[in-house]
Amino acid sequence: MVPKIIVVGAGKGGVGKTFVSTNLAITLSKLGHSTLVIDFDLAGANIHTTLGCQISDTTLLSYLSKEQSLSNLVQPTSIPRLSYIQGVWDNWSTVSVTTSDANQFVTDIKKLNYDYVIIDLGPGATAAHLEIFKNADEKILVTSAEPTSIEKTYRFVESYIVSQLQSSGTKEAIERLKIDLKKYRNENKKGHFSFRSYLTDMTGFTFDHFDSLNSNQIRLIMNGTRSHQDQQLGFSIKSVCNKYFDLAINYTGFIDYDNAVWQSVRNKEPFLIKMPFTPLSGQFLSICKNIISSENTANQTRAVV
Amino acid sequence: MNTDADTKYNYYDILEVSSHCPQHEITTAYERAKSTYSVDNPAIYTMFNQEEARELLKMVEEAYLVLGNKILRTLYDEKIGQQKPLSSLTFESLQAESKSLFSETPKKSVQANSEKYKVDADFENEIINKTDWSGEDLKKVREYKKITIEKMSDTTKISSYYIQAIEKIDVKNLPAYVFVRGYVSQISKNLGLDEKKVCDSYMKYFKAALDKK
Repeated sequence: MVPKIIVVGAGKGGVGKTFVSTNLAITLSKLGHSTLVIDFDLAGANIHTTLGCQISDTTLLSYLSKEQSLSNLVQPTSIPRLSYIQGVWDNWSTVSVTTSDANQFVTDIKKLNYDYVIIDLGPGATAAHLEIFKNADEKILVTSAEPTSIEKTYRFVESYIVSQLQSSGTKEAIERLKIDLKKYRNENKKGHFSFRSYLTDMTGFTFDHFDSLNSNQIRLIMNGTRSHQDQQLGFSIKSVCNKYFDLAINYTGFIDYDNAVWQSVRNKEPFLIKMPFTPLSGQFLSICKNIISSENTANQTRAVV
Repeated sequence: MNTDADTKYNYYDILEVSSHCPQHEITTAYERAKSTYSVDNPAIYTMFNQEEARELLKMVEEAYLVLGNKILRTLYDEKIGQQKPLSSLTFESLQAESKSLFSETPKKSVQANSEKYKVDADFENEIINKTDWSGEDLKKVREYKKITIEKMSDTTKISSYYIQAIEKIDVKNLPAYVFVRGYVSQISKNLGLDEKKVCDSYMKYFKAALDKK
């Protein structure tokens, strides 16, 4: 069976991508799905820490340097139905991933035999990240309630839109768009840049851009929310994306701030395994149900506890 | 975002709801939009400047004025169905239309009443200049305007029993001071008098009667 690929990205580091992807994976595996987590952070991989595994020499590096196939790198965890592929933690050997490598990566993942494959991206919108993001079945963006993180989330969304346009428009049209965007930023004109009206005026973009972007919506998860206002911020971000980029995104859920989280990270224990009765496990469950809503999960909800 | 006539957005688009959504979802969407585009929201900075945010907030408010009102929303849906241009559909135009469809009948009947009495210029002048108002004076004006106690009670929702007692300053049959003041204010408003002047003067009489008791 072809696995469903869930990609977890963020504009800014430290907002909890790894935390979210690990615990989504744990929740999915507890719901009875075979799940694989891939740590795609090429600089600071640490899924093994949040999963409580020993660091080993089998890393994604040997796949990226084309020495091993993906399936040879899969390592088991202490959690049933959950496996992982360790990211690159050895900084001595630099790896560069081109977009075609990223494309091949997604194709190789589709050959693996799992229900779900979760890819934990590194921070920022690099070309490789965007390529994986584009090709995934479910695209998740994690943000915290800090203005810095929200701002970088918008930048990520913008680069995603631009990279999507790049693959569909002619070269001249892209160049013109880049110049026009830059002009807009620098001149600080009155009124904002509306993609919708810009693209309807422009020639050179071959397909109805927003229909295709909106058919596979980006999901947004607010991590580390401390108040009701923080939780509501997700709706604000959704609305701004709609009004600014004309892009519909899906506010999938929020994860509250919890002191138990950093405590479990310090002890190098998977959070949901150590503390399965915190409100957070319910929040992860509702996000998972949201993601796999097409399947019937009603009778599997108890599996989490 | 442009508010020009030709690029005017659909009210449902502004609130980001579907055109079939139940009324309570519109209220929720409005509250969210309102908090989003208020100036201090961290989600809008770097995306919209303050002026744009204010502009958006204005659009959100207008959209809710229409969609938040069931009658106006129905009218709006109807017009959209008839492919009317969006620029012709504003809160003002819809409100005017709804007023012509559902004319406010009670107002008309009051006007019909007031037309009946014969205007006496001297007495009108006296009313305007009068500063001293007792219960008897209220009765005189009421009778001059040909308003019966029953009609007065009907429009002000004050019991006819109290209206009679107020005109007689019958302290024994009247409720506490604040209530009486409220009643007198209602009555004088209905008679087209200066409420404050009448109340202040009348309540002096009322107090005096109260002390006598």
